[in-house]
Amino acid sequence: MTDFAHRAAIDPARGGMLDAVERVTGRVPYTIDIAVPGMLHARLLRSPLPHARIRSIDVTRARRVPGVVAVLTGADLVARGDLQPYFGPVFRDQPILAIDTVRHVGDPVVGVAAADLDAAQEALDLVDVEYDELPAVFSLEEALADGAPLVHEEPPRTGRTFADVIVDAEPGTNICNHFRLRKGDVEAGFGDADEVFDDVFSSPPVQHVPMETHACIADVRDGRVTLWVGTQIPFVVRSQIAEIFGIPQSRVRVIVPTLGGGYGAKCYPKIEPVTAALALAARRPVRLHLSREEEFVTVTKHAARIRLRTGVTRDGRIVARHNTCHFNTGAYGDIGPRLIKNGGYGTAGPHHVPNVWIDSYAVYTNLAPAGAFRGYGINQAAWAYESQLDLIADRLGIDPVELRRRNLLRDGDRVMTGEPMVDAHFHELLDRAASWIGWDGGAAVRDGSRVRAKGVSVIIKGSVTPSTSTASAKLNEDGSLDLLTSSVEMGQGTHMTMALFAAERLGIPADRIHVTTPDTDVTPYDQQTSSSRTTHSMGTAVVGAVDDIRAQLVRLAAEELEIAPGDLELADGAVRPRGAPDRAIPFGELVRSSRSGNLLGSATFRTEGGLDPDTGLGIGSVHWHQAAGAAEVAVDLETGKVEILRYHAGVYAGRIMNPVQAELQTEGNVAFGVGQALFEEMVFDGGQLQNGNLGDYMIASVEDMPGELNTDVLEHRAANDIHGIGETSLPPVMAAVGNAVYHATGVRITDLPITPEKVLRGLRARATMEVPVR
Amino acid sequence: MTSTGAPGASEPRSADVDGKLSLTLRVNGRDHAVRARVHHTLLDVLRSEIGLTGPREGCGVGMCGACTVLVDGRPISGCLLPAVMAEGVEITTVEGLEGPNGELHPIQEAYVAHTGFQCSYCTPGFILATKALLDERPDVTREEATAYLAGNLCRCGSYVKILDSVMDARDRVRDG
Repeated sequence: MTDFAHRAAIDPARGGMLDAVERVTGRVPYTIDIAVPGMLHARLLRSPLPHARIRSIDVTRARRVPGVVAVLTGADLVARGDLQPYFGPVFRDQPILAIDTVRHVGDPVVGVAAADLDAAQEALDLVDVEYDELPAVFSLEEALADGAPLVHEEPPRTGRTFADVIVDAEPGTNICNHFRLRKGDVEAGFGDADEVFDDVFSSPPVQHVPMETHACIADVRDGRVTLWVGTQIPFVVRSQIAEIFGIPQSRVRVIVPTLGGGYGAKCYPKIEPVTAALALAARRPVRLHLSREEEFVTVTKHAARIRLRTGVTRDGRIVARHNTCHFNTGAYGDIGPRLIKNGGYGTAGPHHVPNVWIDSYAVYTNLAPAGAFRGYGINQAAWAYESQLDLIADRLGIDPVELRRRNLLRDGDRVMTGEPMVDAHFHELLDRAASWIGWDGGAAVRDGSRVRAKGVSVIIKGSVTPSTSTASAKLNEDGSLDLLTSSVEMGQGTHMTMALFAAERLGIPADRIHVTTPDTDVTPYDQQTSSSRTTHSMGTAVVGAVDDIRAQLVRLAAEELEIAPGDLELADGAVRPRGAPDRAIPFGELVRSSRSGNLLGSATFRTEGGLDPDTGLGIGSVHWHQAAGAAEVAVDLETGKVEILRYHAGVYAGRIMNPVQAELQTEGNVAFGVGQALFEEMVFDGGQLQNGNLGDYMIASVEDMPGELNTDVLEHRAANDIHGIGETSLPPVMAAVGNAVYHATGVRITDLPITPEKVLRGLRARATMEVPVR
Repeated sequence: MTSTGAPGASEPRSADVDGKLSLTLRVNGRDHAVRARVHHTLLDVLRSEIGLTGPREGCGVGMCGACTVLVDGRPISGCLLPAVMAEGVEITTVEGLEGPNGELHPIQEAYVAHTGFQCSYCTPGFILATKALLDERPDVTREEATAYLAGNLCRCGSYVKILDSVMDARDRVRDG
């Protein structure tokens, strides 16, 4: 098979990826495969200390290394005076290179651009930096203590950000942002409760580990900045680079080759500012490609500690929730100030709870910055509320599945942010999960030294709202179509998905459609390829752009055929009078007769909503993403090792556009979840990462996958809506596994990951209490 | 001046003034004259000197398999082998599997048929590991393939469809 043959054989009922042949031949170009003439190679010197004042930096010897073209420090950036040296998607709190202070181990201090990496590294080795160490904070407890050292002395600089972001920093403390949700009367709700459960659940920092680490090429010339970069959000990179350089956005060009994985790590500027600054200083194009060790200190998932006070009636109805959530956002805000909103309201869960009070905080510490991570706060939230739900079920003597059935949202119930639930499928998802796993009430079954048991979980997740996607399309004189979008291909198959939307709407084969990779000079605005929003938002925009072209085709044909537009139809790549294929005019002929060269179509899709900054009520999400998981595990009582025997991943998709990719994304969520459930954790000691490489930090291999995996992407075509599935089936995994372990052993692990050590400790504690293993 | 004695090189040799050694590597059935410093890995040289894009760095410490290449048919991590030690052996990258007119190898056909990838950064490594596996065990079972491929990591988690691809590739290769 060749690439041409593959494209001709595209089956819309199956989907897949447009460039599949390029992907199995190693030819699909990532950022690291691009070379620009005259390009230099960059390396960064990073802070060895978690918090320190920079007393001096001596780069004299570094500058003398043959091949070195530019050596840059934060002080140089300030001295230049022509760059705004701070960036960040909410607060401008992150310096391009450290200015006076370093705030985490790995904070970039000096950048070098040289003819090759050997010269750049040699130069770094010759830089002398003297630091005065400052007291540092790493844990939430340390950061929140009275008199704690401040990670940022100054109040955060604000700047333009997303419409949904609510900002309420607490200067003079390490609280970077605070989100509140106030629904109903929480004290009255607790008054109605027969039992109140008060539990704390925590999640550690983990890393995204995209197989392709961050890479960027920058070229500054002719008054413009051009970047080739693997980013999920090209338009925020463009606006931030324009802000840094003080130039119009039209003079920043961001080109996005396919990504070797993103998972949120490649949202918002990371290495783009320093690469561009080095290109400016060197007056040559510069490439920066992070090592795996650097990737680990560039962005992480937020560690979180979530306290849930949950009031329930004796018959198992949740009547009040008072949740306090702390997210460790590290040394710089990144998107943490927004993530705590989603992660905060998310702790109310997919349940009908009339009275909710939530405080959610982003907390600065001297660890690597935390940012967007697949699941966006809901992993941490769902781990808490779905774990607690099984404790409640146990205490009340109610079957965990039945307890969920009594509380899960139905159409018309108010979700936590106050809007009525529509298109609810929680019950259906739970029933399917319970049925597939063979739900047995959570019975523990002894099998030699192992105990087997099952667990379930159900989650709700929002998608960023309001948001905007614009698509444009060009119908060519041969009837083929160019589709222009800024949606980023990162393995989810969005280019095929968009081609399938256009093919279906225009009635032409997908192989007659080309989907352009994002290039801000060419492709129109898309807010972000994240939040599981692209198929819904950009897909709708693509359909609109094609409809724009359809209307033009009908107008042209109506003139040519002298027939009312209402009497025409589109079929088989032509416009024709209804039921008269013999009078059909092919698209290409209409384009030629238009004398426009091509027909241009465009459309914008906007979602409306947002939350009140004081109450957190309003419209939290354009629609609500829904998923359920069911796990059967075996726990070895002698070693504490947990094996996931079977797993069911259920997710509501509405309509499925690209079936193979929908399955792959769901399977991928399980792989992600297995790691976070059982072994992934970034371990710090005194702010120093102990396992920042793939020898010491484990991610799931093929051997870690559940013995049997059921991928259940639930489709309801009649609903005529498309729900994102890129993240949705991930958050249930950790809690479903944790609940299964709980039912197998009686050991309730409250802090991820569920390691053999913790399970054994739990088993010993139970033995000491003379509580028999069930 | 440094000199090194590398397996496959009959005599120690001198580096050029820039510290680079001239080497001849046999890659995908052709000899390539390349220059490399002693610490440059085979992966570095395949990418920067020969211009191949299939082998990719994922971890730099031989744990992820993204830089897998075949050396005399056996899978190795290109990021761990110094280029100076790669003379005199037959190196195969994913680019070496295609036919003369770009026809896919049956293993590649199987990966396309099952979409055994998402971002596909790890895919050349998986395909070469699959090649070595099927050369070694033409009748491999799914369980054996699972154990064999545990050294290749796919963060997108496409493992189910990767195994589907391997089983289909086994049948395609075996049944010609």
